[in-house]
Amino acid sequence: MNPPALRALIADSLTLWGVAGRVDIADVGVRITAGDQVLHVAPALPEESPMRWWLISEARRRPAASMLGLLRSLRYALNATSAEPARARVAAPL
Amino acid sequence: MIPVSVITGFLGSGKTTLLRSVLRDPAYAGSAVIVNEWGDIGLDHELLETSEENLLGLANGCLCCTTRGDLARTLIDLAARRRSGAVTYHRVLIETSGLADPAPILHTLLVDPTIAESHRVEAVVTVVDALLGAETIARHPEATQQAMLADRLLLSKTDLAPDTSSLEAQLATLNPGAPILRSVQGAIPPDVLFASAARPEALRHWLDATATPSARHSAGVETISILREDPLPGVVLPLFLEALAEHAGEKLLRMKGIIRVAEAPEKPAVLHGVRHVLHPIEWLEDWPSADRRSRLVLIGQGIPQWWPARLLEALEEEARG
Repeated sequence: MNPPALRALIADSLTLWGVAGRVDIADVGVRITAGDQVLHVAPALPEESPMRWWLISEARRRPAASMLGLLRSLRYALNATSAEPARARVAAPL
Repeated sequence: MIPVSVITGFLGSGKTTLLRSVLRDPAYAGSAVIVNEWGDIGLDHELLETSEENLLGLANGCLCCTTRGDLARTLIDLAARRRSGAVTYHRVLIETSGLADPAPILHTLLVDPTIAESHRVEAVVTVVDALLGAETIARHPEATQQAMLADRLLLSKTDLAPDTSSLEAQLATLNPGAPILRSVQGAIPPDVLFASAARPEALRHWLDATATPSARHSAGVETISILREDPLPGVVLPLFLEALAEHAGEKLLRMKGIIRVAEAPEKPAVLHGVRHVLHPIEWLEDWPSADRRSRLVLIGQGIPQWWPARLLEALEEEARG
């Protein structure tokens, strides 16, 4: 995923979560600034497979095996989760 | 599975007239009917000619909020009485109050495991007054919600408003996938209204209407359409649905999709969801039309226009390695 596409998806995600922030392309990946938080999202190296992404803050580095996991970690790191996470629920077959 | 259909529409749009007409059809005369009225004195159920034991009134509140629990209990009780032989019916028709939001009602029908194990939601029919509908939709967000969540839109009182082109354009903007039907005094074959919205013939109209990717905005509600030429790796579907439910579930009113999956391109996958409740992926034996592109339509509030498409592309790129 190229940096502009990554930046666009994360910027849209911030909007979706109601987070006021800024997403910029960094030397590697993108940098997210929201309030006094600065986070980096960087693609994992091939030898780090099956990890695909790193979410990096001052305090720690969180790995993610997919974009799904990365978005979940990012939302959690930004304290933008709802009171009750809306996980998919499966209804009866049509 | 007992089929359940929901008849909704704003106050005075003609829901009870339609229901009366439907119940006169021999194939529907044996339906169980649940009527929700707004107000202390229920009148609508008095106007319906059906057997007393098959008609249940839910008064003093709106089905989508205060009496949702009543709806669940009523359906469960009815099913128990049906099993014991106390009542006989082969389908359930629910008439909402004129101010009801159909989304929580659908949510109740789909999520409650006791209901879902024995009931199948077939269609949401929204009745729109041909004469007053445009103004009603403009002024009342409930009417907008009702139109947007319909599987079929029924223009009533078309004898009073011969030219409905402007209203039809308004409805097509709100809900491009729903066929717009017409009736006077509820005269329309019930099978046209209540056929399962997931059947190929119903899908065909929806596919034609959503062939152009776009985002339509009305009253804070957006319709986002995604169109894709290339087949998607199958593994992307559950990941996409999981992310959609987790991050946009609260803002997603309804989602429908037909997807060309790389591993089985001749058998399209059909997606249906209401908020964060998703039906299991259904696989059709064949495509309902010659157009074999993947199409996905999301109706929601506050979902960035390109977020779903960008997410889909990211997951696809990961799946392709």
